[in-house]
Amino acid sequence: MSLKNINVALIGNPNVGKTSVFNQLTGLNQQVGNYPGITVEKKMGFCKLPNNIKANILDLPGTYSLNASSIDESVVIELLLNKNDRLYPDVALVVTDVENLKRNLLLYTQIKDLEIPTILVINMADRMEHKGITLDIPYLEEHLKTKIALISSRKGHGIEELKNLIVSYKTISSEPCLNASSIDVEYFNSLRHAFPNQLLYKLWLVITQDVNFLNLERNEIHGSFTKSHSDLKRLQQKETIKRYQFINDVLKEGLKVDSSVAKDFRSKLDRVLTHKIWGYVIFFLILFVIFQSIFEWSKIPMDFIDSTFATLSTMASEHLPSGVLTNLISQGIIPGIGGILIFIPQIAFLFLFISLLEESGYMSRVVFLMDKIMRRFGLSGKSVVPLISGTACAIPAIMATRNIENWKERLITILVTPFTTCSARLPVYAIIIGLVIPDTYVLGILNIQGLTLMLLYVIGFGTAILAAYILNLILKVKGKTFFVVEMPNYKLPMFKNVAINVIEKTKAFVSGAGKIILAISVILWFLASYGPGKQFKNAEQIIKENTKAHPLSPTEFNNAVASQKLENSYIGLMGKTIEPVISPLGYDWKIGIAIISSFAAREVFVGTLATIYSVGGTDNETTIKNKMAAEVNPITGQKIFNFASGISLLLFYAFAMQCASTLAITKKETNSWKWPAGQLVFMSTLAYLVALIAFQILK
Amino acid sequence: MIQEIIAFIILILALAFLIRKFFFKKKSDKNCGSGDNCGCS
Repeated sequence: MSLKNINVALIGNPNVGKTSVFNQLTGLNQQVGNYPGITVEKKMGFCKLPNNIKANILDLPGTYSLNASSIDESVVIELLLNKNDRLYPDVALVVTDVENLKRNLLLYTQIKDLEIPTILVINMADRMEHKGITLDIPYLEEHLKTKIALISSRKGHGIEELKNLIVSYKTISSEPCLNASSIDVEYFNSLRHAFPNQLLYKLWLVITQDVNFLNLERNEIHGSFTKSHSDLKRLQQKETIKRYQFINDVLKEGLKVDSSVAKDFRSKLDRVLTHKIWGYVIFFLILFVIFQSIFEWSKIPMDFIDSTFATLSTMASEHLPSGVLTNLISQGIIPGIGGILIFIPQIAFLFLFISLLEESGYMSRVVFLMDKIMRRFGLSGKSVVPLISGTACAIPAIMATRNIENWKERLITILVTPFTTCSARLPVYAIIIGLVIPDTYVLGILNIQGLTLMLLYVIGFGTAILAAYILNLILKVKGKTFFVVEMPNYKLPMFKNVAINVIEKTKAFVSGAGKIILAISVILWFLASYGPGKQFKNAEQIIKENTKAHPLSPTEFNNAVASQKLENSYIGLMGKTIEPVISPLGYDWKIGIAIISSFAAREVFVGTLATIYSVGGTDNETTIKNKMAAEVNPITGQKIFNFASGISLLLFYAFAMQCASTLAITKKETNSWKWPAGQLVFMSTLAYLVALIAFQILK
Repeated sequence: MIQEIIAFIILILALAFLIRKFFFKKKSDKNCGSGDNCGCS
């Protein structure tokens, strides 16, 4: 009796055990070659199945999706699109890993939509008990519209059942998972109208993938339905989101993970780290250690950088020929650069800890842990990722909201992310805390300054979720999305990865913020060194006349002249104009100028004060911190940076928007000025009111 | 005099840099990935 030949394609993500399944099915009946014209390995084999069927098994290269980004992936797409290929599969086996089912199912849904009979092979079933995983196979089969083979290729379990399923491939539904039209109804309707006999999803792949599809229709499609690259990308993203929505809905019922019954070491560790009480305790202990260390370990290098720049500034004014340029260098540029470089140690330590947490796999547990809190405030667990990323910078964090499917949840996350404490706030916090919070210890080990910094981070995160809760009530979010996070294995952080991340992030901070600070320092120096009226031009004369009765020492006289000039300079006049608005918060006009200039970027605050104090300050103090500490209100005689004004400033920066780039990215992501304008008004008003209340209570 | 000229050139360069940075920002196609803070500050 002659054998009936069928083609079987093995498709799956890398590392799902696809080759083990291939080996189990084919045994020694294998051939290895190359695909024509490329060096991608082609593995074929055959196996005899019941009912006199001989299956030609083709082990296709591992691919994450049908959106090709490598030659390996193009091979898969070309085969699946071309029905004339002699290897075109009669049935596709999509191999998945039971521990990473969500990610693996994306490819499955795409293959299924090509209307090829598809069997879902769930591999590594022997790990299910160990991991506390249970699958509702009938439910999954019904909703994924297929037959499922639960196997363990490592132990050879389920292979015979898989062979039986392959034999009955004709009974498998070819109904797609996703209605392709839902990606863009109008566009797909016109496609359907133009090509009534073609499969819509196949047409879509031909349009979007740069693969060698040997058919004339590709040119026809491209000619009539050309879209811009960015439009196609946007639609592809929409397609991926819709697929994950579908997968999430199916897995919510079909897959249960009970970590309490899992038995492996990772699960035991997960049970503690994601515990409803211990999980939070450990997380806060880790945060506590991080913030203590940031302050403790940074002290020596920060003091070194501060004094080095003070010395450089003095040297420049003493050794360079006197003149405008020398003053600009010694009073504007050097203090401005010093004002940003001083924070390198703290930024580096912050990113060192964040990298260690990410590399070790702990950060994913934090995301999972925080998801439970987020839900109570009406946000998706996916919002946690942008909120945690926001501790580095709000810009990439806001961009990271793109994977939130529900528009209103995404909008809320975009609007509240700037509340989380970004690295640009750190310099402001560090200098103010250093000035107004005593460097003392509670219980011998708890540094008050470190505790204050940690509290500010908690305030930032707390405000973000509280604001989200309020916005959630106002915007009436409907249709929650489900959050499925893939927990990576724990591993020892790789030194190289951590080092690269710390260097990259610190470099980005210094070069990105540094250039702006340098430019602003130059402008501020000019504004502080020139003035319009007689009060500025005749400063020396005025001071001489005012002090006739009580002559000053030469140093006192110089300081008085510098102060008179600064107050009547352009920047002084600007500062004096806004002073009535900010004085109820405990700030003088110099702080007011620093707040205005730091709207470009928060960290400009310190650089601005460094420049202003260098131009008009006393000669007795050289370092930025000492200059700020010595600043006194001429009317009250009180220190400008005292406990009340310091707390007021810390709270102001905790809540204020103060970042032009964040507003720009919010506009880009929401495609409207309405939201960034609202964000700016709300955050600025909140910051002003909280700072006002804090100062009025504490003064 | 030379010092003043150089100082004012530096001022013009600083102003031009800020104007270009905040008002005429270059459009970029690349995605902001690792290590890139996407123009943040």
